[in-house]
Amino acid sequence: MATENRDKEEEEVKTDDGSPKIKPRPIVQLGIFLISHSPVFSVVFSAAGVMALLLLPLLAKNTYISENALMPGSARSMLSHRDVSDGSKLVNDIKSFRLNHEGQGVEVQRLIGNYMLEMGAEVSYQKFQPEGNHFHPLHFFSGPASYTNLGNVSCAAYGVNVAGIIRAPRGDGKESIVLVTPYDFLNGGDYEALSLGIASSLFSLLARVTWLSKDIIWLVADSRYGDYRPVAAWLTEYHTPSFEVSDLSKCDELNPSDSFRRAGTVAAALVVKVDGRSERFEDTLSIYAEASNGQMPNLDLINVVNYLAVHRQGFYVKVEKVVSLLSSSWLKTVGEIFEAVGKVARSLNPDWKFGIPAADYLEGSATLASSLYSQALGIPTGPHGAFRDYQVDAITLKVSPRFPPDSKGRQHEFCLRGAQLLEGTIRSVNNLLEKFHQSFFLYLLTSPGKFISVGVYMIAFALLVAPLPMVAASLYIDGCTTQNPAENLKSWKWLDAAKQVFALHLLGFIVTLLPYLICQVPGEQSPTNRSIIWATTSSSLLLITFVTVPGCSPFSSRLHGTNWAVLKSVTISAAFIGLCLMSIINFATAEIGALLLVPMCLMVRPIRPDLRSRRVKSLVRALCSMVLVTIGFPVMFFAISKGLIGEGLVGLGLGGEFWTWLESLWAWKSATYLYIGMVHLPCWLLCLCILFHPS
Amino acid sequence: KKKMKNLTLVVMLLCYSFASSSGDTTIHTNNWAVLVCTSRFWFNYRHMANTLSLYRTVKRLGIPDERIILMLADDMACNSRNQYPAQVFNNENHQINLYGDNVEVDYRGYEVTVENFLRVLTGRHENAVPRSKRLLSDEGSHILLYMTGHGGDEFLKFQDAEELQSHDLADAVKQMKEKRRFKELLIMVDTCQAATLFNQLQSPGVLAIGSSLKGENSYSHHLDSDIGVSVVDRFTYYTLAFFERLNIYDNASLNRSYDPRQLMSTAYYRTDLYQPHLSEVPVTNFFGSVMETVHTDSAYHAFSNRISNSKIKSDTPFNQLSEQDVKEDLRNTHNQNDELKTEKQKCPYSEMRADLHEKLKKIENVDTMVNLSIAVMILVVMVSSSLL
Repeated sequence: MATENRDKEEEEVKTDDGSPKIKPRPIVQLGIFLISHSPVFSVVFSAAGVMALLLLPLLAKNTYISENALMPGSARSMLSHRDVSDGSKLVNDIKSFRLNHEGQGVEVQRLIGNYMLEMGAEVSYQKFQPEGNHFHPLHFFSGPASYTNLGNVSCAAYGVNVAGIIRAPRGDGKESIVLVTPYDFLNGGDYEALSLGIASSLFSLLARVTWLSKDIIWLVADSRYGDYRPVAAWLTEYHTPSFEVSDLSKCDELNPSDSFRRAGTVAAALVVKVDGRSERFEDTLSIYAEASNGQMPNLDLINVVNYLAVHRQGFYVKVEKVVSLLSSSWLKTVGEIFEAVGKVARSLNPDWKFGIPAADYLEGSATLASSLYSQALGIPTGPHGAFRDYQVDAITLKVSPRFPPDSKGRQHEFCLRGAQLLEGTIRSVNNLLEKFHQSFFLYLLTSPGKFISVGVYMIAFALLVAPLPMVAASLYIDGCTTQNPAENLKSWKWLDAAKQVFALHLLGFIVTLLPYLICQVPGEQSPTNRSIIWATTSSSLLLITFVTVPGCSPFSSRLHGTNWAVLKSVTISAAFIGLCLMSIINFATAEIGALLLVPMCLMVRPIRPDLRSRRVKSLVRALCSMVLVTIGFPVMFFAISKGLIGEGLVGLGLGGEFWTWLESLWAWKSATYLYIGMVHLPCWLLCLCILFHPS
Repeated sequence: KKKMKNLTLVVMLLCYSFASSSGDTTIHTNNWAVLVCTSRFWFNYRHMANTLSLYRTVKRLGIPDERIILMLADDMACNSRNQYPAQVFNNENHQINLYGDNVEVDYRGYEVTVENFLRVLTGRHENAVPRSKRLLSDEGSHILLYMTGHGGDEFLKFQDAEELQSHDLADAVKQMKEKRRFKELLIMVDTCQAATLFNQLQSPGVLAIGSSLKGENSYSHHLDSDIGVSVVDRFTYYTLAFFERLNIYDNASLNRSYDPRQLMSTAYYRTDLYQPHLSEVPVTNFFGSVMETVHTDSAYHAFSNRISNSKIKSDTPFNQLSEQDVKEDLRNTHNQNDELKTEKQKCPYSEMRADLHEKLKKIENVDTMVNLSIAVMILVVMVSSSLL
């Protein structure tokens, strides 16, 4: 009976012309509904995406220690005043030594090495060379080891790292914890020397404790060529031993029999720096966590440091924030609105507790913006970034004391607290049984104790890019319906558009690689000159593309040109794919990129008909497209963001600045550079083509 | 009449053997303890400390090492994170080193698995397993089974890899009961939601005590800031605090209550499978090795036949007089019968024995009778073999 009924129903669904029409499934119906109303939904989704981004500081959760084994702060500190005195003695020795001796020798390193030896550590010295930023397109994503060239070695410029290793008395020697103190042996200040004091105090304690399960490595990185390079050089040597004798070993007075010493796999690393005086009444601890391409260390590491610093040592802990946002009035208004909404919600139901004070919201947004920006840039915020290349969780702790560097009594207390903080963190990591894995790797910080996990912040991005496929589908249908409806889906009209999109993406790829060739141009060029060379070559290449690829140019005749709707549809699809790929590589870049690209791609349409019609609605639409396309140009956006921060730049200086900025991106192998060249730039060019389309 | 007597004898012996095999009536003859710490890792230090504390207590109260099966899933004493190498403490005052000279760990490290645990309980071992690693209990054994680790609703985690479910535990206990491996069993569990582990138990003679009810956590008692970990759980801590005041001769009963505010969870007793009232059960029934003494009036002089069952019962309230004692007494009776031939006993068995004895005495030429009977037997054998 049931089958018969179904048969009858199916017969009833048949349409008048007799062809069987099966009722589409709900999901297909929903898709058709969304596509047919795509203008409304694209506005709704984009607005919701921006709204979700603004809501993120409200949705931040308090951090918590996820890994059971860590148990921070459960053990009493064993650091004694004698340890700290030893540390202070080292600092004073270094200071007096540097007063009496001038020059580039390695005596200070020897001094530190002898201190380490006295404590019972194994000491090794490592020489390294400063390395220029060589951009090589073929080595973009390759490991850090591949670009070490042992070619032209000059004895004129090299640095020497000192590393001391304490073996865990009953450990298995398979794991280690690294403590890094960057110190400029040539012109390091008094504050910098304090970090050596802290590390030395801690080291003398760790040399005699019985509870170590992992070896401790104290690396004094020679930071005369920057903080990052010595650490990266040491890590390269640590992980990829080279069996060739480096030419560097010949050019100094250090004992050549000193071989490089290693311990086990690095479980975690802490970089300690003492910075200038704290602005606040308390000693300040700044945590830097972002590594290359927006990679973050496990949240548990930050949690442990934050917990110990706040609850045990009484530091004021902060993470970076965009200071200019703190004074922005519109953000304050948004915060106040959210606060008011939260209050209303709480009065309705006391269980709804999502409102936060406007001041907190402002702080959270400023921190979030900084977190997003640092991740999007893809440049590590400190020497800890070098560890991330080896999948080691590492953070940089920048401590700012509240006293001037010459007050002795305060210095002792400061060293004690700093060393106790490190001791607690190391003891916690020492308890660890496996790699850090319990807590989040994908998160944004809104304060040292609050975070937004990947599950929450992805929503904003998903909402933002959701209109793209809908609008693409709707435009494609629009662009094809002018002809016979039966051939709609079979038509190859999109092929022309796809050719154009492909040509411009290829152009983007070539433009991305151009700086490598420009860098090969002999002679010392200023960044401004280089940017001019780049701009001219790129523009000529663009013209060549327009000429050679038929129908590519917006200025070609109407017959050759493709239908703009189909072109826009394919452009949007390409942008969608590019953004989604980028969101996997570096979410923050994709988020910021989507904020620029999505409105531009959605709004852009040929301005000629709009201008011709002379209606207000059309004129506004044309204006919006033009403004969005102007902002969407990478150089323009760079200038605007610079202007927002407060550095006005006009003219050729801007080009130079932009070049320097891009150079830093590729020097750090940031995927953002690739994104700008291969996704953003082609999409912007395509939007330009659509804008001036002769339809 | 003779046949009748023979028949009664057979029936009686059958009844007797049947009765003696039933555990309820067997006398408590020995004590065993199975102490299990199921969790690994340094941060679970307290579980090993719990188990070792219990080990120390039952040893102090008289269970010998050979009757304790100690299972420790990890070795905290030799962990490189331990500030006091080769020592384990259960209190931050560090008064008692639980890992002293004579600690016999029977199952250690990765040997502590659900499989091995169930093998210990049910006694199904590989041939090569030494006697010291087996639970060689019998129907007269009182067994203490103490377990600690991380648990949940009807399970207990072993080694961070597998789990013991309440069904498994109940099944093992049932097998033990059927194989007469215990007389009484006390299961004491200190985990989160410990009470749920007892849900499936059915076997009689099992008493279960858990540290927390369903949905409750069991918490650690305090943190040792020198070692950097919590060193004891609350339930075990207060249990130990109670036992520390006891010595082997104390008569404290099992009927003690835990303060839920101190425990931060509700201790749970499952007593429906256990006959005696808890207030009548001394703790040494499980935690020590104290046998009750049965006073026989006549070790050396004439045995008065009326065994005062009631008297013994009143002496030992938690143990009925077992048949074994009756048997002992009866043996005595036979000896006496040899001497006191004339006195007819009321006991039918001894009566029959006496009759037989008298009859044998009456027969004069024993040799002829023996020869005759041999001849008859040969005849019977020949006939039967030819028939076959």
